Amino acid sequence: MVSSTFISIGLHVSIIIIAYFGMPSLKIREPIEQPIDIVEDTPISSQTSLKLGSVKEKKEINDKKVEVKEKKIKKSVPPPPPVPSREIIDKKNNELKKQKDLKEIAEIIKKKPKLNINKKKDVPKVVAKPKRIKNQITPKAIVKPEKIKNKQKENLAKGLLNTLAEAKIKNDEVKKEKSKKEDILKTIKKLAGNSNRRVKETSLSYSQTDIDRIRSHVSKFFNMSYAALEVNKMIPLKIITDLDGTVKSVNIIEKSKYLKDKFYRATADAARRAVLDSSPLPLPKGKEKLFRNIVFDFDTSRINSY
Amino acid sequence: MNKSLHHICSRLFIITFCLMISKAFADDIKIKINSGQIEPLPVAIADFTGKEGKSNQIGRQISEVISNNLVGSGQFKAIESAAFIAPPTSPSVRPNFLDWSPLGIKALVTGSVKNINNDEIEVEFRLWDVVAETDLIGLRLTVASKAWRRVAHIISDEIFERLSGDSGYFDTRIVYVSESGPQNKRLKRLAIMDQDGENHQYLTDGSFLVLTPRFSPTSQEITYLAYFKNEPRVYIFNLETGQQELLGSFPGMTFAPRFSPAGDKIIMSLAQKGITDIYTMNLNNQEVKRLTNSSAIDTSPSYSPDGKQIIFNSDRGGSQQIYIMDSNGKNIKRISFGNGRYATPVWAPKGELIAFTKMHKNKFYIGVMAPDGSGERLLAQGYLVEGPTWAPNGRVLMYFKQDKPIDDGKSTNVNLYKIDITGFRETRIITPSDGSDPAWSPLLPN
Repeated sequence: MVSSTFISIGLHVSIIIIAYFGMPSLKIREPIEQPIDIVEDTPISSQTSLKLGSVKEKKEINDKKVEVKEKKIKKSVPPPPPVPSREIIDKKNNELKKQKDLKEIAEIIKKKPKLNINKKKDVPKVVAKPKRIKNQITPKAIVKPEKIKNKQKENLAKGLLNTLAEAKIKNDEVKKEKSKKEDILKTIKKLAGNSNRRVKETSLSYSQTDIDRIRSHVSKFFNMSYAALEVNKMIPLKIITDLDGTVKSVNIIEKSKYLKDKFYRATADAARRAVLDSSPLPLPKGKEKLFRNIVFDFDTSRINSY
Repeated sequence: MNKSLHHICSRLFIITFCLMISKAFADDIKIKINSGQIEPLPVAIADFTGKEGKSNQIGRQISEVISNNLVGSGQFKAIESAAFIAPPTSPSVRPNFLDWSPLGIKALVTGSVKNINNDEIEVEFRLWDVVAETDLIGLRLTVASKAWRRVAHIISDEIFERLSGDSGYFDTRIVYVSESGPQNKRLKRLAIMDQDGENHQYLTDGSFLVLTPRFSPTSQEITYLAYFKNEPRVYIFNLETGQQELLGSFPGMTFAPRFSPAGDKIIMSLAQKGITDIYTMNLNNQEVKRLTNSSAIDTSPSYSPDGKQIIFNSDRGGSQQIYIMDSNGKNIKRISFGNGRYATPVWAPKGELIAFTKMHKNKFYIGVMAPDGSGERLLAQGYLVEGPTWAPNGRVLMYFKQDKPIDDGKSTNVNLYKIDITGFRETRIITPSDGSDPAWSPLLPN
C-alpha cells in the first residue's frame, strides 16, 4: 500500500518535472494583456474654422499660432541626417573615381612630352651672308610642332577622360544590372523549382483577339439555309490544323444527331463547308501550335434571318 | 468474387476512358460561331447523261427543270453550264472536284437516264459536296417516260431537303380559278397545274361560276364553291378518279369551306338572316355545328395545323381584323392591331406563322405574322393582292395580283405570283389565261 503511494507520487512528480522542463511554454510567462487605451488623434480646437469675428482677432490668433508653432519647433529634436542609400554612395564613389582619374590624367598631360629633336649646335650663327660651300649639305630645318597651351591641353584631356570615364561607369552599371537580374532569376528558380516549363506555357497563351479573328474569318464563309434556324442545338466540329493554318481534317462530332435530324445534318454540312472554305485559318504568329486542335461550336439559334 | 472484380475493372476502364476523352477535349480550343449568311448556295446541275438521243434529251430536260426549281426557291444559285470545265459524268463516276471548286460551286448534281423499254426510263442521280469532296445522296427511279417532269420534281425535293434540311415543295400542284373574257362576262373555270405552271389542265368547263378551291390536307381532293342557278353549292372533286360529289347547297355562302387538318371536318362561314357566322360540318355524318354567334361578319376561318385553334376575320371590333379562338368556338381573342383592315388569314403548315391580306390607304398587301399577332411583316403589295396559300413546307406563299383596270374598268390583268417568306423573291407563275384564288396542294403521294 505504502509502496504504491510512493510509486504514484514519484510518477506524478516525474510527470510534473518533465512537463515543466520539457515544455518550454510552461516556463515562459505570458505577458499580461494591457487594456487598450483609445486615443483620439484628431485635434479639437476651441474655435471653429468658420469666418467669425474681426480680422484683428484673427491676426492675433494667427500670431499666437505662429508663436506656438515656433515653440513647438524649438522643442522638437532635429532629425538625424538621412542615411545615404547604396545608390548615392555608388554615385559618390563614381564621381570621386572620375575626379581622381581626371587629376591623374591631367598630371600626366602637364608633364611636357619629350620630343626627340636633334638640335645641331655646330651650326654657326648667321652674321654675314655665308658663303656657299660646295658639297656641303645644309641641315634641314625641322619644323617644330606648335606648343599647346597648358589650359587647352587640360580641356582636351578632360573631355577625353570624361567620355572614357562615362563609358566605364556605364559598363559597370550594365554589369551590375545583369548580375542583379541573374540573382533575381536564381532566387525565383530556387523558389519555384522547375519553373521553366510554366513560364513557357504562359508566354504562349492565346488572347481573345486571336479567337475573334478566327471566328470572324470562319463566319464569313458560313452560308446556311433558313432551316438552320430550326436547329436549336450547338453543332460542334473538331478540326485539326497545320502550322500554316491549313485545315487538315474536319469531323462532325455528334454523329447520331447528324444521322437522325435532317436540319442538323444540312446545317452541319454547311458548317463543314465553311471551315474547309475558310482554310487557311488566320492563326496568330508564334502560337500556331496552340491552335492545332480546335472545336468550332456552330450556334444558329441567335441568327435572325428576316 | 470474379463478378465483383470484373465489375470494378469495367468501371475503372470507363472512368479512365472518360478521363482520356475529357483530357483530349480539354486541349482543344473552343470557338463559338454564332453568325453567318443566308445567301443562295451556288450549285452546278450537270446535264443527265444518256446513251441514246432520246434519253439524252430527257436528261437535259430533267436537269433544266431541277435547275429552275432550285433557283426558283431563292435558296440556290445555279451556275451556267457553259462555265463548266468538266463534261457531265455518270453518277457512278466520282467527279474530279478540282474541276468544279474553282467556279465557287458548293454542290454538284450528276445523273443519268436509261431507256428500259419504249415507255419506261430509269433515272439515277447523285448529289456531291464539292468542298468536302463527298457524296451526299443518291437515288434511282424507274418511271414511265412521260412522267420525266415529275421525276425532276422528286429529285429537286431530295436535293432541296438534303442541302437545306427543309422538306421540298416541288412535287406539288396548284389548283386555281382560270379567268378569261371581259369583266362583265367573265368565264371562270377550275384549273390545275404543277407548281411551276406546267402540265396545265381545266377541271370545269366554265358553264357555271366557280370560286375559292381548297385542297384536302390528307388526300388529292378539292372542295370548291360553284353557283348553280344562283345557288351556292359546295362540291368535292377527286383528282385521282376525276369524280365530283355535291356536298350540299349553302345559301349565303361566299367562300368555299376549308378542311380540318385531319380531313374529317370542313369549316365555313354562312350568312343567315344577315348575320355571317362560322360553322363546322362533320363529313362523316353531315352534322353542322355553329361556332360563333355575333351580330358581326365572321368569315375566312382556317384551322391551326394541330386542329386546336381557328383563326378568322371579323368586324366585331368596328373594323375588319384577325381573331383567334379555340376549335370549340371559345376564347375569342383579337390578334391584329396594325393600321388598316385584315382579311383571309391562313395558318402556315408548321404553325409558326399566319399569312393574311391587308388593306391600308387604298393598297393591298400580303403579309405574315406570328399567331399571337407579333412580328407582322408585309411581303408583297399591289393594286389588289389577295388569297395567300402556303407551300407544304411553309417557306413559300402563292397569291393573286390584279393590276389597275384600264379602258374604264373593262379590262384588267389577274395573275398568280409566288414569294418566299423573306419577301425577296417574287415570281410570276405563267398561266394560259388570267388566274386567281390559288390553292397549294400537299406533297404528292409516291
